[in-house]
Amino acid sequence: MFSGPLYSGGFSELKRLFQEIRDRNYRIVGPRLEDGVVRLGELQSFEEIPYGVSDVQRPGYYRIRVDGGRFRTPLDSPKQLLYPPELTIFRVTKDWKIEYPSYRFEKTALFGIKPCDLAAIKIMDRVQGELGDEYFLKMRENLLLVVENCVEPGENCFCATMGTGPAASTGFDIAYTRLDNSIILFQPGSDLGADILGELSLEPATPDQVGAFRRAILKAAERAKAGFRLENLPDILELNLESKVYREIAERCLGCANCNMVCPTCFCFDIIDEPELDGSSRRIRIWDGCHSYSYAQVAGGHFRKDLWARYRHSILHKFVYWLRQFGSFGCVGCGRCITWCPAGIDLREVISKIVEEVEERCRK
Amino acid sequence: MQEIVRSKLTPTPAEIINIIPETPDTKTFYFKPKAKLEKPKPGQFTEIYIPGVGEAPVSVSGIESDGVIIQTVRSIGTLTEYLFKLGRGDLIGLRGPYGKGWPMEKLKDKDVLIVGGGIGLAPLRPVIKEVERNRRDYGRLSILYGARNPSLLLYRYEFDEYRKIPNSELLLTVDRADETWTGNVGVVTQLIPKASVDPRNAVALVCGPEIMMRFTVKALEKQGFKGNQIYLSLERRMKCGVGLCGHCQVGPYFVCRNGPVFPYWMIKKYFWVDQI
Repeated sequence: MFSGPLYSGGFSELKRLFQEIRDRNYRIVGPRLEDGVVRLGELQSFEEIPYGVSDVQRPGYYRIRVDGGRFRTPLDSPKQLLYPPELTIFRVTKDWKIEYPSYRFEKTALFGIKPCDLAAIKIMDRVQGELGDEYFLKMRENLLLVVENCVEPGENCFCATMGTGPAASTGFDIAYTRLDNSIILFQPGSDLGADILGELSLEPATPDQVGAFRRAILKAAERAKAGFRLENLPDILELNLESKVYREIAERCLGCANCNMVCPTCFCFDIIDEPELDGSSRRIRIWDGCHSYSYAQVAGGHFRKDLWARYRHSILHKFVYWLRQFGSFGCVGCGRCITWCPAGIDLREVISKIVEEVEERCRK
Repeated sequence: MQEIVRSKLTPTPAEIINIIPETPDTKTFYFKPKAKLEKPKPGQFTEIYIPGVGEAPVSVSGIESDGVIIQTVRSIGTLTEYLFKLGRGDLIGLRGPYGKGWPMEKLKDKDVLIVGGGIGLAPLRPVIKEVERNRRDYGRLSILYGARNPSLLLYRYEFDEYRKIPNSELLLTVDRADETWTGNVGVVTQLIPKASVDPRNAVALVCGPEIMMRFTVKALEKQGFKGNQIYLSLERRMKCGVGLCGHCQVGPYFVCRNGPVFPYWMIKKYFWVDQI
């Protein structure tokens, strides 16, 4: 895949980039501040992007500070836009006529998403394949991806371990890196991205700037690491299916499925029926999560009635099964599940502990 | 741009044209789809839909040449309880058929050992019918079938027909007998050593409660069946049926798409793990 050289400009070029995308009739969705949380939403102006606002993300902890710093992953992942939490799939009338909904599909630019979220979109592409969710596939047709590389990952970030960041290497239209507020490096990742960047007054990055970029990314990568390594991880986890760590975590886990909801790759859904007064019925696809009690429940039985088993399934799915199903890990290291866990459960610690158990056993 | 989005999860209306009571809580429904559905293969399932109520995955227990799909349903959840209130002429929705069924190609010229527990005989019935129809394509047919008590045996009205299939046997058992019962008493696994099939040249097809399948696998291995000679039909929450909703996963498999029928060796790693 194409990914071009670095060009440099200033903050004003970043603003012009936004404007240029707007002028090309894209609806722009990006980070914006809402009720004290950086979320993903439709942007009317460049000024809505909370540059200069920083977030503090720790296990089960999220705070905003207006201190000239940087924000990390918004609460919402691109999944919110591409694969909405609730979507009517059809309505069936009393006399069995099926009526399909129609939706607006506009040219949309995701502006300033992080490399981990870009990786998550690529994972969703593989999960849905060519025969997946119809709405998702339509949304993907006209999506411009503008990625902001991370030079200051947060406390819960571990993209460097998952190999998804802190800089995106391919798969975007445009990537930019804010070395500081006066130097921003831009990189085209597609012909369209190159064409858009061509409208700006950018200069090829100087050797010094490229050097500064590399140092910043390496430094960021050091910060965005978990305590475990990916080598042999699926095999190690499968060697320890009966790990006591799952039971320990279940003592703290609430089974709320927050982690599933904020996860940029969790794709499970339920379908519910909403009967209407005229005798018709609406069929709605809604997000579901494997931590919730009813997830593996069937009429007359329950395949994962204990919370530890549901927690184990989520770990095994992301770090073992996903590889066999879709050829990659199901985790991008964005850290959302850690930040938004009401019990502050740290996925990185959980995996490290399970790995440690196996290593200890091997030493004996 | 407004665009209509057509979901592949759309049911086809189907008319209930016949209902056969099987047991106190089980009935066999004959559905005639209003539009042509793909012809189910033995072991596949459909999603039965009732507007305003919901959907449930149910295995196919009979396939008619005129497109009629026969399904045996136990009233055990919201959808099935509602279905039991419907009668001839009523419409339901059907999606499918879905999944990988029994390995019919692999059964050619082999002895076929069918082991069913309770309602687990339902997805195996199309195999019996197929063997009966193309009798010379298969070796000996041995049907082992057990239920908790005699009143819970499915398809009793057909047992004589099964017995008349050349080169076959039907061995029955119940966990608890009543005054009408003169046959075997005990779990279905006890019948396995009695089955007159050649384990070196046989394939076993198993469906029943998970606990019954576990004991059956052990008993079959004792007879010399290998992991690729044992096929199991698994039950999970197959919500979407097409491998997208995630609910039915067992290990890395989507039961709806990679199964519901699995060769035992494929799921061996997970089969014995509690709540995997």
